[in-house]
Amino acid sequence: MRSASGAKGQPAPHRGAGTRRMLTWAKEALLPPVAVFILVVGLWEWGTHLFEVPVYVVPPPSRIWESLLFDGTAIFTHAGITFFEAFAGFVIGSALGIILGTAFAYSRFLARGLMPYVIAANTIPVVAIAPIIIIWFGHGIISKIAVTAFLSFFPLALNMMKGLQSYDRTVMDVFHVSAASGWQKFVKMRLPTSLPYVFVGLKLNVTFSVIGAIIAEFVQADRGLGFMIMTAYRTLNMPRLWAAMLVSALIGILFFGIIALIERLAIPWHSSMRSNQKP
Amino acid sequence: MTGSAEAKVRISDVDVIYPGALGASAVHALDGIDLAVRDGEFVSLIGPSGCGKSTLLRVLSDLAKPTEGSVVVAGDDPRRARLKRKVGFVFQDAALLEWRRILTNVALPLEIEGVPRGKRLARAQELIDLVGLSGFERQYPNQLSGGMRQRAAIARAMSTKPEVLLMDEPFGALDQITRDRLNLELLNLTQKNRMTVLFVTHSIREAVLLSDRVVVMTARPGRISEIIEVDLPRPRTLEVRETAAFAALANRGVHLLEMGSKT
Repeated sequence: MRSASGAKGQPAPHRGAGTRRMLTWAKEALLPPVAVFILVVGLWEWGTHLFEVPVYVVPPPSRIWESLLFDGTAIFTHAGITFFEAFAGFVIGSALGIILGTAFAYSRFLARGLMPYVIAANTIPVVAIAPIIIIWFGHGIISKIAVTAFLSFFPLALNMMKGLQSYDRTVMDVFHVSAASGWQKFVKMRLPTSLPYVFVGLKLNVTFSVIGAIIAEFVQADRGLGFMIMTAYRTLNMPRLWAAMLVSALIGILFFGIIALIERLAIPWHSSMRSNQKP
Repeated sequence: MTGSAEAKVRISDVDVIYPGALGASAVHALDGIDLAVRDGEFVSLIGPSGCGKSTLLRVLSDLAKPTEGSVVVAGDDPRRARLKRKVGFVFQDAALLEWRRILTNVALPLEIEGVPRGKRLARAQELIDLVGLSGFERQYPNQLSGGMRQRAAIARAMSTKPEVLLMDEPFGALDQITRDRLNLELLNLTQKNRMTVLFVTHSIREAVLLSDRVVVMTARPGRISEIIEVDLPRPRTLEVRETAAFAALANRGVHLLEMGSKT
């Protein structure tokens, strides 16, 4: 028993394998979007001047940039508030989703009894329920967090349940023959198996939570990006509106990046994490 | 009843009937199975699909309950034997945890048992060396070939030093060359360590090569039709397959399987 049969000869993935990899990554992953960005912004600026597009229809990038600089810290204060609402709602909604999803995975009665109502609740348009939640939770930041949490709840409840149920039957047999307890099966097998699903839910929630926070601010707010967008719209200050829109997108991207990074660290073994190594 | 007092596994008049779902008729998976396996004996179960050979292994490992009859595994009923970790099981699928390295995968049953970390990893390393995976303990399962994954599964099943090792077509999904090699290594492993093994396979040649006895089964209902005593001398090597005695035993097995499938 010495030789091992047919290794694929695939090297183990090394962590932090030097600057050369960073450079290739910069070249392959960073260069294309940066090039597209420069090209699009250039064409946009040039086009709005060439065709004399009115500023209230499409402001040129330079005017949006000016607006950003003019507002100075104000826009980032608003953005910070919206980000906080989105993040807090994301955490609370996701945590509740994880708890209920786990309960659904372990109790068929709960899943059958509650699932129709959870699905029904999820079909309520957020713009319809936001005023109600604001009546309940008041005019402060708490109501914005509540709207965001409401939106973030469903994707995780569903994905958590699916994830916990998606284990391999033979792996379950291995645990059973090894005389594992229910807790050991949960911690050592079902929870790790569910992680890729959990991250799918978390990534959905990133988008939903920013939407939730801004919509709640549309309904009632005296600060935040949603408030800023509404006031810019009423005064037809279009460069400011565009600036707010771009910053809100930036929040989403930043947020998404954080989750994607955590995913990479948490489940490096999952096949979705290897897509960039082999075509 | 066959079998003496020192039987490691005793199966007495076991029936397994799966109730049919929604109008389908019940499936008689096993019908009146009697079998005693001696300590250190290697017994293969062979037969057409649906003859209940896998079901029999599942009954022995407490993954399925017999409808009738009694089973004794290493002096206990299957449930007790499982809880005392007297049974190891190798499935057709290696069923390794993708997020663990080979070393911690092999150590999993010991981890579940509560063996301290240092001790269980040392034991896992021993087994990895034994099954010829030295140098791969830090790899993840998806970095290994099918044959290597199956070696890891065998090492994992042996980690708790089970008294009875159950193998359900462990090499069924492998190519012929890998299969031959793993057959040889399993032969060496069992001859050296004197393990009691129940081995399910579709290959009569594999069964004859490895076993002391080959149990030929028929399907629907699953019954034992005949038991072939394999009196080939040990230790065996792959070359034994070229002898006339081997060919005679294999032919007899093929003949019995054909008779069984005609009924």
